[in-house]
Parts: sequence; structure tokens; C-alpha cells
Amino acid sequence: MDDRSADSDPVTAGESSILDTLGEDVIRIVSPVSLCMLLVVLLVSSLSSTNDLSSSISSLFLSSTTTPTSFSSLNLLLLGSDSTWEEIKSALVTAFSFVVVVTLLTFLLVLLFYFRCTNFLRIYMGISSLFVLSFLGGFISLLLISHFKIPIDPFTFAILLFNLSVVGVFAVFMPKFPISVNQGYLVAIGVLTAYWFTMLPEWTTWALLIAMSLYDLAAVLLPIGPLRLLVELAMSRNEEIPALVYEARPVDPQPGDRVRVWRERTDVRIEATENSTNSANVQTVQETRLAVSEEITAPLIEAFPQTGDRHLGTEEEEDGIGLGSSGAIKLGLGDFIFYSVLVGRAAMYDYMTVYACYLAIMAGLGVTLLLLAVYRKALPALPVSIMLGVVFYLLTRVLLEVFVVQCSSNLLMF
Amino acid sequence: MTVAAGVGYVLIALGPALSLFASVIAKKPFLILTLLSSTLFWLISLIILAGAWRAFLPVKSTELWPYSILILTSVGFQEGIRIGFWRLFKKMEDMLNAFADRVSKPRLFLTDKMLLALAGGLGHGLAHAVFFCLSLLTPAFGPATFYVDKCPSIPFFLISAIIALGFVIIHTFSMVIAFNGYTEGKRKDQIFVPFAHLIAALITLINLVPGGCNIGLPLLCIMAGTTLYYSWQLVWRRLTEHQTTRSSD
Repeated sequence: MDDRSADSDPVTAGESSILDTLGEDVIRIVSPVSLCMLLVVLLVSSLSSTNDLSSSISSLFLSSTTTPTSFSSLNLLLLGSDSTWEEIKSALVTAFSFVVVVTLLTFLLVLLFYFRCTNFLRIYMGISSLFVLSFLGGFISLLLISHFKIPIDPFTFAILLFNLSVVGVFAVFMPKFPISVNQGYLVAIGVLTAYWFTMLPEWTTWALLIAMSLYDLAAVLLPIGPLRLLVELAMSRNEEIPALVYEARPVDPQPGDRVRVWRERTDVRIEATENSTNSANVQTVQETRLAVSEEITAPLIEAFPQTGDRHLGTEEEEDGIGLGSSGAIKLGLGDFIFYSVLVGRAAMYDYMTVYACYLAIMAGLGVTLLLLAVYRKALPALPVSIMLGVVFYLLTRVLLEVFVVQCSSNLLMF
Repeated sequence: MTVAAGVGYVLIALGPALSLFASVIAKKPFLILTLLSSTLFWLISLIILAGAWRAFLPVKSTELWPYSILILTSVGFQEGIRIGFWRLFKKMEDMLNAFADRVSKPRLFLTDKMLLALAGGLGHGLAHAVFFCLSLLTPAFGPATFYVDKCPSIPFFLISAIIALGFVIIHTFSMVIAFNGYTEGKRKDQIFVPFAHLIAALITLINLVPGGCNIGLPLLCIMAGTTLYYSWQLVWRRLTEHQTTRSSD
């Protein structure tokens, strides 16, 4: 029969198999990403009954200080339905200007971090998350209230909004806050920002996604990339970068060494980048990096094997990603946002593209995590997933839809 | 026909899958990952099929033979892919066993392997239900319903939901049968799976005939029940054999 030895019966042996706990960390990252995408899809599909013009106006109103989006929505308003070539041109211009702005701001962030203005950065990020939660959250709540005709008076609404935003800011930045509230608010910020991004015109969204993933790839892997500089600065100083990062820690810490490891964690590798979602007035600082927090036994300098030195890996391999107790995966909030933007834009076409893009993004995330386990350094989380997502979106829209509709409308399935 | 009807159709198609997920798969994170990857695998095979058939679509004729060629090629391709899937599964099993040795935990139990097969099959079934049924259900959440010409007695959404339910069961449990058959090398199990899949797909051809869905749907449910029964018998036999070999050691 089977030549595998020790096929013992778990019931009598009383031991647990590796299948019980393997992959826990990965699931702890996959669930919030899936939740964020689900909420954005629900928002998009329930609020998309507003026609394109009014949503352009609303995005115009909201982003009055943002040059790129108002330019393209203004363009749309003035010229009506553009020819495709015009749309592509404006989309490319928008995406390019966005990437340029983000690069400049990231270099500014590196400069500020170099001059140790950490407090300034933290306060700035607190203000920007307050902005996202109160203004964007209020705007989207107003859209929901008007769409579903929820009876609520302005005073209650104002009080609720104020309370929720303030608690959100505290949850994101206070170190001792309960982790589940922290995670919940980070997902909420991701959902709000992603929904706002889906209000851009279609070509602009796709151009922006591709441009951002290329920027991500360059900024993290090139030696002059701002994100790489930021990471190396943070590492050489043994400091944390102040940024919005989702940490896939377990909600209830297990007793024993797990708690100890978290408290004693001093050298945390967070690879941070900054994405500016709006223009000069409003900046939301987010991270788009994936990182692994190391155990304290591995000093930070050794953690980057310069010459492919792998001997430190033997004791850490058991605690690596998805396998052990101490490795927690950190995913930047910008990754959440751009994944959800892709899925939200796919939802505006049809649900089949949503499922296909969801699976593609999950596959890309899995590949990135695998590469992270192999290379053990900061990796960009955007490129693989976004590229796979775009490819699957195109394939589904062009090939799959015709096939499936043809088969199922004739009630032929296999 | 309103949100309630839409949710109802979703639950008809995915009810057993959801309960399987909640009770068995959600408890072990690795099984969720297996489910996601097998869903992706099935999607990729479907895209390849769609790409191959794109030039010939849309089929305008109402003859039977273009559709039967479509079905035959699709099922044949998917069954061929299943063998590839099994090879990947074996590799993964080896990697898991090596990892288990490294962390000095016991190797994969027989139930673990069957759970992996179940998760893989459920992924396939889920992908089928999602792409053939759920993605077309969006109009069902609205105010009206839709009837196909060939089948004026049952709403289109209900038919596709029931067919999806049948295929979820068939895909899920035929993966269990197939993996056991390939592992043990038993010809009977190996032949059963493509056979069952092919028969089930050919049964849906009956739906092309006007009024055919009244015959096709029950037959499909019988096929699903047969697969379920066969897999139940197989797993029972395998587990009791395993028990007796263990206790006789």
C-alpha cells in the first residue's frame, strides 16, 4: 500500500498533525485583504446606480485640490464621452503625474526621516488618517444614507462621525490599543480610500494601477529607490518607520513565549513607502511594503545576508512566514487599497471579472509571500498581484465571458 | 426577483459547499489555501478552454453536434488536467512530509490526505458554481425573473442553481475518489471519475431539447448522488482497512 511510514491514526495517537497550524499566518493576511475587497465590491455595486456624471461631479467636488483627478473629470465633463484615444491620453498623463508626485513625496519622507523629524511624521499621519476617516468616511456615509434612505438627523450623524474618526486615529497610532480594533480601523481606512479611487474614470484607474506597480517595483528594488533608502535608514538606526501598516498578529496572544517575543521585539523590519492620494493639502501616508518581523535573536545587520549567507536561516526557518509562532506578516495599507481598487473597478463591469481578479490577486499575494520566504528581504507587494489581476481581467472579459454565457444560457455545464 | 430570491438561489447552489467549508475546511488554514489554489487552477483551465473555443463561438446553430463536441473536449481537457493536479498534489505531500520531519511532527495522516483531496475538489466545485451560476445571478437580485425558451416551466436561475449544486457535489467527491484511485492504483476508481464527469456533462445536453430540463435535472441529481455514494463507500472501505492494518500491527 502506501510506503509512507507512521500513518498513525490521529484519534488514538492524540497528536495533532502539521495540517492544523500550517499556513495560519498566511490566512491571517488573506482574510483582511479579502474582507477589504468584499466591502469595496459591495460599496461599488450598491452605489453604482448613480450615473457617471454625478459621480464625476462628486469626485470633482471632493478633490478640488487634486489636480490630476479634477483634470480628468473636468475633461470628461467638458468633452462628454471622449473618444478612446483622448481618454487613454488623459489617463496616461494622470498616471504619470501621480507617480511623479508620489516619488517626490517619498524622497521628502526619506529626507525627513534622515533628519529625525519622526514626531512631525507621526503627527502628520495622524492628521491624514483623521482626514480620511472623517471626510471620506462622512462623504461615503452620506452617499449610503441618501441611497438607502436611512433616517438619521444631522446631529447624530455628526456626533457618530466625530467619535468614530477620533477613535480611529487613536486606534491606528496608540501602541497599546487592542489589536482587533487597530486592524478593523486599518481595513476601514483601506476601504474608504479604495472606494474613493474607484470613482476615477476607467482608463485612468488602470493606467494608475499599472504605473503604481511599476513604481513599486523600482522604488523597492533599485539601489536609488526611495523606499529602499528608507528601509536601510530605518535598519541602520534600529527604528520603526511611522507608517500605516497592517500587522497580521493574532487577536488573542497565546500564552507562553509568543507574548514574550512580541514584547521584546526591538528590531522590526518595516519597509515603508509613501503614497500620496491627494495633492498638497491632503496627504495620506501609507506603506506598500511587505515585511517580516524578526526574532530578537537575529541582529538586524545580519538579517540582510549580503553575500547570500544563509546560516542564520536554520533556526529561523521554523519561525518563518506562515509556519511558526513569531513571524508576523506586515502588509502596507497601500497594498490593501490598490488591490481593492482593482477588484472594485472589475466590479463595475461584471461579477465574473470580480471573481477572476480576486483569485488572481490572491495568487499574486501567495507568490509574493513565497518570494518573501525565499529572499527574506523587503519586497514590493503590488507588482505581481496587479499584473496578474490585469491579465486575468482582460482574459476574462475577452475570452471567458463569451464562453460561459454561451454555455450556461443553453444550460450546458460541465 | 428581489434580494431574497437572489440569496436563495446562491444558497441553493452553494449551500452544501458552504457547510462543508464552515465545518471542515475553515478549521485548518492550509485547507483554505488548498481550496483557493484549486479554484485558481480550475479557472485557468476554463480560460484555456475558452481561448481554444473563442474562434468558434458564438455557436448559432441549434444542432446537437457542435455542443457535444464542446462538452467532450472540455471534459476531456479537465480530466487530463486532473492528473496534472494529482502530480502537484503528490509533490506538495512530499514537501509537507519533509517539513513535518524537520519540525519533528508526525507525517501526514490518511485523513489529512483525504481532507486535502476534499479541499481540492471543493475548490473545483466552487469555481464551477461561481463562474457558471453566480456570475449570472446578478439580474436575479432585481425585480423580475427570466425563463429560457427551451425550459418554460422553471426559472433560468433556479435551473442553473440546481445544476451548479449537482456539479459541486460531483466535483468535490470525484476528486476524493480520483486521488484515492491514483494513490492506490485501482483501475476501477480511476475510470469512474472521468466517466461520471462525462455522463453528467452529457446529461446537460438533454437541456437543449425543448422540455428536456424536466428530465435532465433529476438525472443530474441522481448522478451527483451516485458519486456521493461511491465516494462514501470508498472512504469507508479505506478507513476501515487502515484501522485493521493498524490494529493488527
